[in-house]
Amino acid sequence: MTDIAQPDRCIVCTTCTVMCPVAKNCLDFLGPRMIGPAHQRFRLLGMGEDESLHYCSNCKNCDISCPCDVPVSTFIMRARAEASREKPPKFRDWILAHGELLACWLRFIPAVFKNFGMGFAPVRLLLHALGIARQAPLPAFAAQTFRRKFKSLSQPQNLPRQVVLFPGCFVDIYEPESGLDIVAVLNRAGYEAITPEGFVCCGLPLVANGFWQNARQNARRNLEELARWTDRGLPVLTACPSCALMFGKDYAEYFPDLLPRNLSPVLVDVCEFLTGCMERGELSAPDVAPGAATTGDDHILYHAPCHLRALGAGLPGLELLRLIPGLRAEYADSGCCGISGSYGFKKDKYAIGMRVGSALFSAMRQSDAKLCASECGTCRVQMRHGGGKQTLHPVSILRRWLDGK
Amino acid sequence: MKPTDVLVVGCGLAGLTAALTAASRGKTVRVAARGAGTLAIGNACVDVLGYVNGEIVRGNPLDALGRLPEDHPYRIMGTEAVVKALRFFSRLCDENGLDIRTESRENLWIPTALGSFKPTCLCHPYMDRKSLQGHDRVIIAHMPWLKDCHAQMIKTAFARQKGFRDRELRIVELAAFGGQTHRNLTPLDVARFVDTPDGERWLSSQLANHVAQLDAGLCTAVLLPPVLGVERHREIRMRMTRNTGCTLAETVIPPPGVGGLRIRHALTQAAARAGVQIMENTHIVAARTQGRQCLSLVAENNGRGRELAASSFIVATGGFLGGGVVASPGKARETIFGFDLDAPERIEDWGAPDLLDAQPYARLGVKVNGRLNAITPDGDARWDNVYFAGRTLAGYDFASEKSGGGVAICSGHYAAPRC
Ligand SMILES: Cc1cc2nc3c(=O)[nH]c(=O)nc-3n(C[C@H](O)[C@H](O)[C@H](O)COP(=O)(O)OP(=O)(O)OC[C@H]3O[C@@H](n4cnc5c(N)ncnc54)[C@H](O)[C@@H]3O)c2cc1C
Ligand code: SF4
Ligand code: SF4
Repeated sequence: MTDIAQPDRCIVCTTCTVMCPVAKNCLDFLGPRMIGPAHQRFRLLGMGEDESLHYCSNCKNCDISCPCDVPVSTFIMRARAEASREKPPKFRDWILAHGELLACWLRFIPAVFKNFGMGFAPVRLLLHALGIARQAPLPAFAAQTFRRKFKSLSQPQNLPRQVVLFPGCFVDIYEPESGLDIVAVLNRAGYEAITPEGFVCCGLPLVANGFWQNARQNARRNLEELARWTDRGLPVLTACPSCALMFGKDYAEYFPDLLPRNLSPVLVDVCEFLTGCMERGELSAPDVAPGAATTGDDHILYHAPCHLRALGAGLPGLELLRLIPGLRAEYADSGCCGISGSYGFKKDKYAIGMRVGSALFSAMRQSDAKLCASECGTCRVQMRHGGGKQTLHPVSILRRWLDGK
Repeated sequence: MKPTDVLVVGCGLAGLTAALTAASRGKTVRVAARGAGTLAIGNACVDVLGYVNGEIVRGNPLDALGRLPEDHPYRIMGTEAVVKALRFFSRLCDENGLDIRTESRENLWIPTALGSFKPTCLCHPYMDRKSLQGHDRVIIAHMPWLKDCHAQMIKTAFARQKGFRDRELRIVELAAFGGQTHRNLTPLDVARFVDTPDGERWLSSQLANHVAQLDAGLCTAVLLPPVLGVERHREIRMRMTRNTGCTLAETVIPPPGVGGLRIRHALTQAAARAGVQIMENTHIVAARTQGRQCLSLVAENNGRGRELAASSFIVATGGFLGGGVVASPGKARETIFGFDLDAPERIEDWGAPDLLDAQPYARLGVKVNGRLNAITPDGDARWDNVYFAGRTLAGYDFASEKSGGGVAICSGHYAAPRC
């Protein structure tokens, strides 16, 4: 691992540690300033690792809050990769990092058994023994992946334009319906969606769990595939902010040598794309749904995933919701939900994750909105679990309104 | 992205005040910010003007504005504007659950973690030295398990002060919470614990027990590091005051302070409610201008630019510390528009020989006209729809004047109605 950025830009202001949700909720974690730039100096001198490195959830609030552009979470993820070379990660972390592979194998098992498997008490006990918290809201595998469903989907003929859709593992494996919602709305805006087979998992769960080399292989494949489509001038969309962040920011920080010089590896946020469609008149905002006011569904509480905030492109999902006439979208502004991909599923992290999410959960409970929205799949899982309310991708909500619900 | 009426750069005290002022006047507002702003690590006190030319300002700081040089931001905006801005800010805090105000409009002296007192103007009213001295007994809470908690030092320093001469000063030790950790605990960790019901009970019962063991009948104040919660500060302090029968006061501390986070929380909640969208992790790197108009600002976006268009722009980028101004030998430059600032050519002239004197480099910044538009060396506005606010402004030295929070709030509030 060459060209590691130097920690000297850090002015030791402590802002990152103040804003880190894990440091806030777990006193055993030294926090980003110490584990990031401060320890980086020790690492460069070949000194030992701090025992609390594993607590970081890679949520990136440190990067968001730092006034000096210090790549704090990148220091931490690189250190984790180094530590994993010396001491291989647990089998549990392998399972959580390789959701995509598991899904590949599981494709050959009928879904009833799979779900039986994930929700079945003896299986949960086994997973618990492996280190996956019994109480954690592990999502159920879908009967068919999004990609398989997509193959048998017939999109309207003669759509004038095309876009590429990178669904992200969550939509692909666990929540294909939200992927289908996106395709339906894209069709309505006059776009035919293409979902290439060549894309693989963006690699973020691999990095977070210490599987650096696997992540690197995925990055290489994805960048090649991305170039193929951007060369044809087609925008590549994603519904998952973490995938967008991995492509748009992290690849350059983790694997700079893989980036072709003139490619900025951008996945376009699907909400931002659709907002653009509305502005260009390709998609008209839905009419006010009749009777909406009486059902209470006209009020939505929106949660911004940390990785979306880290992208630095604002909150296009919230803007999209606010373009729907008759709908009131409220910004929860309650920080991290605590799941951070696979973090909140782990036995030793579940309680921390729930404490981190508590502000959001109480905002959900206090709000009179019956329905909540967020772009990130695992955020949605955690919000349903901790806040007890149905939570959908903003585009799924848009589709409901376009269809008159 | 749809253009807004106003685009604010920076989410420090100046940027947030500007955004909320503009929103309160019915404008659509977007804030672009890289970093959380200094508020996240500061204290809950707004300094208006503590010193002029090294001399302490006693009484009403507004009466001392006339002694400032003419190009000082306060002089440019005028006393009336300063009064209005501070009133707006206090009301905003109050509506969002915080008492940050001035009762007398006079400078007050508030206790630091070392037992000294510093001048400020708007703060939690109970932090005032006079209020502490009005008690028969001051209990100094000691938390030896906390980084930089110096109760003995505070006691010694207080004992030397006339106002505390015949007061009973007493140290009580509070037991630690939680288990063992190898991390340095700070008052922020305690404050966040106290924000939870368990934490509130933990602190309230310890204080009540200590007070119960002392002679009753004495009017008692308890001085703590800033540990009385962050997000639920006002209600927690009210309940604990009732439980203990004492006035509870807090010190100001070096970063990470807790009070600044209280203000930040209140302001960002207000912004979310007002529909102000804060674009985080958004680094503005350039501007697109046409003649004396700015059309849009450009955010760095994975090596490409993202244009943010608006009718007016407020630049509150925090000066050298915030990244709004950079210096290279003999030169200083505003970072977004890229114009040079008036800086002494000889690097030796940037600093005064005595480090304790006001430092000329601290006054470096963007020179503005009466509307807070940046001006050319000839005094003409560079762009009519771009306003500068906060520490990026030239002509004041927040550290030696103790005027940081005041200038930030007033310039943010002053810039917004011009948009
Ligand atoms: C540690 C510390 C504690 C202090 N405590 C107090 C106190 O208790 N009371 C008091 O009155 N004063 C205090 N001061 C002084 C006071 O904080 C400052 O004068 C005031 O807060 C400055 O506010 P600001 O909004 O101008 O700048 P900042 O708070 O620095 O905010 C600037 C913002 O602009 C962002 N930014 C900069 N460049 C760009 C860019 N190109 N694109 C996007 N965003 C950008 C920054 O990241 C930041 O969010 C303190 C100062 C420090 C350093
Ligand atoms: S990535 Fe998140 S958990 Fe990790 S140090 Fe940064 S803020 Fe904390
Ligand atoms: S916020 Fe940035 S500069 Fe400040 S301590 Fe953290 S890494 Fe260092």
